Amino acid sequence: MIQVENIRKEFELTKKQQKENNTSDKVALAVENVSFECQPGRIFSLLGPNGAGKTTTLRMLAGILKPTQGTIKINGIDIQKQPNEAKKVIGFLTGSTGLYERLTANEIIAYFAKLYGVSDADFEQRKEHLYTLLGMHDFQDKRIGRLSTGMKQKVSIARTMIHDPEIVVFDEPTSGLDVITAENIIKLISDCKTQGKTVIFSSHIMSEVDLLCDDLAIIHKGTIVHRSSMQEFRDNMQTHSLTAEFIRVINENN
Amino acid sequence: MIFTIFKKELKDTLRDRRTIIAMIVVPVLVFPIILGLTTTVTKYFDDKQKEEVLKIAVISTAIDNQFTQRLSSIPESFGPKTIIFREDTLGLKEEISQDSIQLAFVIPADFDQQQESNQQSTIQIYHKGVNIGNKARVRTYLSEIENTILQERFERLNLDTKLIEPLNEEYIDISSEKEVIGKMAGGFLPYLFIIFGFIGCMYPAIDLFTGEKERKTLETLLTTPVPRWKILVGKMMVIVLSGIAAASFALIGMFVGLRAFDLVDSPELLAVIDGILTPTFILSLLLLLLPLTIFFAGIMIPATIYAKSFKEAQSVLTPVNFIIMLPALVGLLPGIELDYITAFIPIVNIVLATKEMVAGTIDPVLMIISFMSMVGFAALSVLFSFKRFGKESNIIS
Repeated sequence: MIQVENIRKEFELTKKQQKENNTSDKVALAVENVSFECQPGRIFSLLGPNGAGKTTTLRMLAGILKPTQGTIKINGIDIQKQPNEAKKVIGFLTGSTGLYERLTANEIIAYFAKLYGVSDADFEQRKEHLYTLLGMHDFQDKRIGRLSTGMKQKVSIARTMIHDPEIVVFDEPTSGLDVITAENIIKLISDCKTQGKTVIFSSHIMSEVDLLCDDLAIIHKGTIVHRSSMQEFRDNMQTHSLTAEFIRVINENN
Repeated sequence: MIFTIFKKELKDTLRDRRTIIAMIVVPVLVFPIILGLTTTVTKYFDDKQKEEVLKIAVISTAIDNQFTQRLSSIPESFGPKTIIFREDTLGLKEEISQDSIQLAFVIPADFDQQQESNQQSTIQIYHKGVNIGNKARVRTYLSEIENTILQERFERLNLDTKLIEPLNEEYIDISSEKEVIGKMAGGFLPYLFIIFGFIGCMYPAIDLFTGEKERKTLETLLTTPVPRWKILVGKMMVIVLSGIAAASFALIGMFVGLRAFDLVDSPELLAVIDGILTPTFILSLLLLLLPLTIFFAGIMIPATIYAKSFKEAQSVLTPVNFIIMLPALVGLLPGIELDYITAFIPIVNIVLATKEMVAGTIDPVLMIISFMSMVGFAALSVLFSFKRFGKESNIIS
């Protein structure tokens, strides 16, 4: 379970950035007063246009960035107070995640398993399960630099899931991928739900949201402008399509 | 956990061709290649110069003068020559310029009389200044002739040679040969280490920090439940190891080069080199150089964390490389010694301590101060790296 309460994130601006943004403010506000809850066995979708604050919010959930204000609890653990305890149960995947090009798939998976403190027995079992599920046996000993984008994405998935996280954070996981590769991700998200994991993912592709999501929040200019279950969202639509409705909500809060 | 990170980063680094070239290939090969080329080329030109038969014109109206006789009798071992005679300098310059004649001596007609009356004779020498070797040959011939004439004059006048040598210097050097050579050559060792140690650290530092940012792998690494300081230390260990490896390979390359091309003809210098090659010396040297390499890593990491691309990191670190080289050069300057001031100056202290170690004149107290103060600077640089690594604006591109 993820509990986000009134988080705020400010970034300090360098003099160069102040000049570029034509502002005299010393800080830029990325996220303000954001609160939501993600339940186990449900998929929560964070929607928003580019630059809305989705990535910043998810990076705070994953412990990469620290909120300026507010609290984030991961399975009841405050990520600011016990970051490493909280991180143990999180799997984090983004569409733009890179992999170590000079290592093989096996080496990467083993490395991350060690970093997460996975026992040898669990590692072997999970690795076998993931490799079979994703069809990775054929290229497990090849260096990442020699793999196709689809193969790399499979390695990223296996890397994210090797410690069997209870909470999975996906930041625009299908961005830049072709439909076949994106399908692997869609299936992974769906499987996580079946396994009772807490899933949060950010996107601006409404077809994905329609297919997967149970709860959603729309974020715009750093604040949550809509929060409901997917069913409620559909029921109260004032336009003919999800995309049109998403745009309407954004425009309404411009 | 630190060891897991270290192992992975080392594996990753050793698979990077750029790092391998900077860490092993260049340091090992640079000295044998430079020494080999210099020796071969110098030897080739030396031999050519020595074997070259010089055509020398002697210009005098009195053909059978003493100078010509003495010149002809100079043995072939001083360089082969053929002598031709001319009565005037007509067309001489053109012939020398076209290289059909290499040298010309213009001898005064009354040379013999001048010499017999113990006077000075002026001899004009035509030569082509660009042929440095020819001028050296002239000096050899003339000093040979001059010495013989001088000796004959002293005998003839029944004089003692002490007359023109009123002082006879006897130097009693209380420093050992090892000290003298150590102080001269010892400065080169840390200089070499600093250059290669720095380059050896540079590529892995860029690769392990800027590279992770550029390849977008850093974000994933930071989501793992590993404290940031452990990630930093794991990576830093690889950078330090790489720097020490590069410097050690450069030393090996240099020693192999010196031996392979048989460049050391002085037994004292050989003794100094053998002294350096003992396990105790190598271990003390590495111990002294360890904080220096950590210091390098510590000042490089903040730059590589800040940089957004490999190119940017490289352009930031290249000027740092030059700055680092300045204190390293101090070791090559005579007169600057390790004392209670220099022992506190980073880099300079290690350079001077190494120099003293090679010479065998190290003061243990100063050595400990140098080491400890370098450890202090290294710790500060690591702390600085840690602060920068924790800064969100640096780690998120």
